[in-house]
Amino acid sequence: MSYIDVVDKVDVPKPARFYTPPHFETVSGLPIAYRRQGQGEAVVLMHGAGFTRMWIPLYQMMAERCDFIAPEQPGFGETPMPTWFRSFDDLTLLYDQLFDQLGLDRIHLIGFSMGGWAAAEFASFYPRRLKSLALITPVGLRLPDNPGVDIFQLPPAELMDRLFQDKSVMMEFLPDVANFDEGIQLYAEFAAAARLMWAPRYNLALERRLQRLRCPTLVVGAEQDRLVPNEMSDRYAEVLPNSRLVRIPGTGHEPCLERPRPLADALLGLIEEAK
Amino acid sequence: MNKLRFYFFHLMPYPHIPPSTEFPSTWVSLSNKHYDPQRGRVLYNEYIDQLVAAEKYGFDGVGVNEHHANFYGTMPSPNIIAAMLVQRTSHIPIGVIGNAIPLHGNPLRVAEEIAMLDVISGGRMISGFVRGIGCEYFNNGVTPADSVERFNEAHDLIIKAWTDDGPFTWQGDHFYVPNVNIIPKPLQQPHPPIWIPGQGSLETLQFVARHHYTYMMVFSPLWFTRMAFDGLREECKRIGYDAPKSMFNACVQTYVAETDEQAHREAKAHLSWVFNTGLKIPDQLFFPPGYMSTKSFRNFVGLLQKGKVKPQAQLSYDELIRDRYIIVGSPETVKNQLGEYCDEVGAGGVLAVGSSFGPMPNWMVMKNMQIFAEEVMPAFREADGKPDHLRLEPPAPATHAEFAARFGRPPETARSLVTGGGNELVEHRLAHLPEVIDKTMSDSEERPASAG
Repeated sequence: MSYIDVVDKVDVPKPARFYTPPHFETVSGLPIAYRRQGQGEAVVLMHGAGFTRMWIPLYQMMAERCDFIAPEQPGFGETPMPTWFRSFDDLTLLYDQLFDQLGLDRIHLIGFSMGGWAAAEFASFYPRRLKSLALITPVGLRLPDNPGVDIFQLPPAELMDRLFQDKSVMMEFLPDVANFDEGIQLYAEFAAAARLMWAPRYNLALERRLQRLRCPTLVVGAEQDRLVPNEMSDRYAEVLPNSRLVRIPGTGHEPCLERPRPLADALLGLIEEAK
Repeated sequence: MNKLRFYFFHLMPYPHIPPSTEFPSTWVSLSNKHYDPQRGRVLYNEYIDQLVAAEKYGFDGVGVNEHHANFYGTMPSPNIIAAMLVQRTSHIPIGVIGNAIPLHGNPLRVAEEIAMLDVISGGRMISGFVRGIGCEYFNNGVTPADSVERFNEAHDLIIKAWTDDGPFTWQGDHFYVPNVNIIPKPLQQPHPPIWIPGQGSLETLQFVARHHYTYMMVFSPLWFTRMAFDGLREECKRIGYDAPKSMFNACVQTYVAETDEQAHREAKAHLSWVFNTGLKIPDQLFFPPGYMSTKSFRNFVGLLQKGKVKPQAQLSYDELIRDRYIIVGSPETVKNQLGEYCDEVGAGGVLAVGSSFGPMPNWMVMKNMQIFAEEVMPAFREADGKPDHLRLEPPAPATHAEFAARFGRPPETARSLVTGGGNELVEHRLAHLPEVIDKTMSDSEERPASAG
């Protein structure tokens, strides 16, 4: 018998564009969805709080040069939410076990937005697993005088507007809210994000724990992020050992969607340097 | 037993804010710079006077509730208002409907406060429990995704704290209390009546039925109230509980004046404010992520899309009247429509009748209350016109003489240890009499030297 008690298992809709069926790896009874393609250095990407279920152009660019693995964390995409799941600690341990089961020993780890926080948490517990760490417009540190906007208070249209500097990309990736099931899925994914991030929106231990890292690190910031203050990526770059910060022109909070080519080049550069 | 019970309900709004066309939400984001404590003082005291007056006018109970960071209902701590009502009224039941128990760090605070109020009031408290609406979670570190679990656990803890002898240890999923031993315990046995406000969700109906609690609707159209009550009756039947009519409380705002036309003239702007301004809440604040289960959210959005329900802030006055969110008119009209409403849904009580609405001035509230009490209520009462609580034996004696006759002297086991000539246990009541206290006086040479 599985100890997983899945919360509200509902049929997950498939986005019209970029959808690919995932593989599943069962970890502690929980079927974790992941997409994997390519050969070479093992590179894992931890996603943000949205735009799940898709093999986006960035992933394709990465997969052409490395063994690229994009898992979906509990409550996102096609991975169900177990009732016990509450924290980044739970997530870190799930990922550790998932990587073991997938035969991944040392990896290059990338995280964006909420996934940047998740990657930083993972890195602070398992520094020896990492060959490199790249955080893209991450969250998770305290900016004492600049808490930023409360993403959970934003009306959907304003949220989308704040995510993207490049509105043509925004139109391309706009979730299909006319699709009833997609609206429900977005609510469920936001609920999964709230389990981890409602309060507080930072982990004060992170700045201290990240000092354990020995691998090369990179922080990718937006040109102008209107969701998470640019100061957040500045702060991460200050805190992380062996780090540098690049800002990708023309981007808001979503460099992964807005400017995949220069982003992929920056990430692959780090991987090349650290392999 | 009367045909219907009537509860005067107050939200204590702060209406001196800009028109709703100028801001997206009356909750969470509308700045408290619009709150002027000088005006707040006048309002609070008028509101409290209105609640107190409801006893004299003959209501079956008064109700207050908890909301945060908004102008629709400015009672972040309803127990404070209840405490004032306890002191200023004599017989009327007082409902806190309810305390938002998942929001607080330690639910025992609610258990203790309601127990205090119940003891002081002589068992007049009605204890409501709510999750709080979605908006409350923005002012709080509690994840809305934990709301249902925390509600259930806080409820279990409070009931156990009231009913089991302490001390005991609470080892919950969300709350851990090493030593639960609340003092005082409530006066009503086993505990004050529990009311659960709801919006018709199946989980809530099942909870109410299972515990034999009293259900109360929040502002809803008639068809919705009937659907929820039918669902609750079905649940009760399913588990073999013969549900009394008093278990079903509707929530209908009524305004009554000399004629239909005059009633509409007086009430229209104020009742409109309650919905169009007071309840102006964008979806993302009303349903923060995880506040509803994915299944409940799916059902609700389905109803919205089919046009079955409409956000309350978008309801026109005519729609409010048509769907019986509100009943407005002459005494004859209100009597007839309220009677039909309660017959149709099978309600044993109704809240927010003859009450205060939005920016309604004090004189108008009092006018509504008086005409309602004198010209509507009697139609639903026994010939004596009394509220049921004045016909029933009160939970606690009203006078000292009656108390002494029923409960006698304090137990003889209530004694103090007094040191001196010998260690004596003396009865408090007699402790000052020479034959008692003198035995504890020691000889001067045996007195211990002063520590100083």
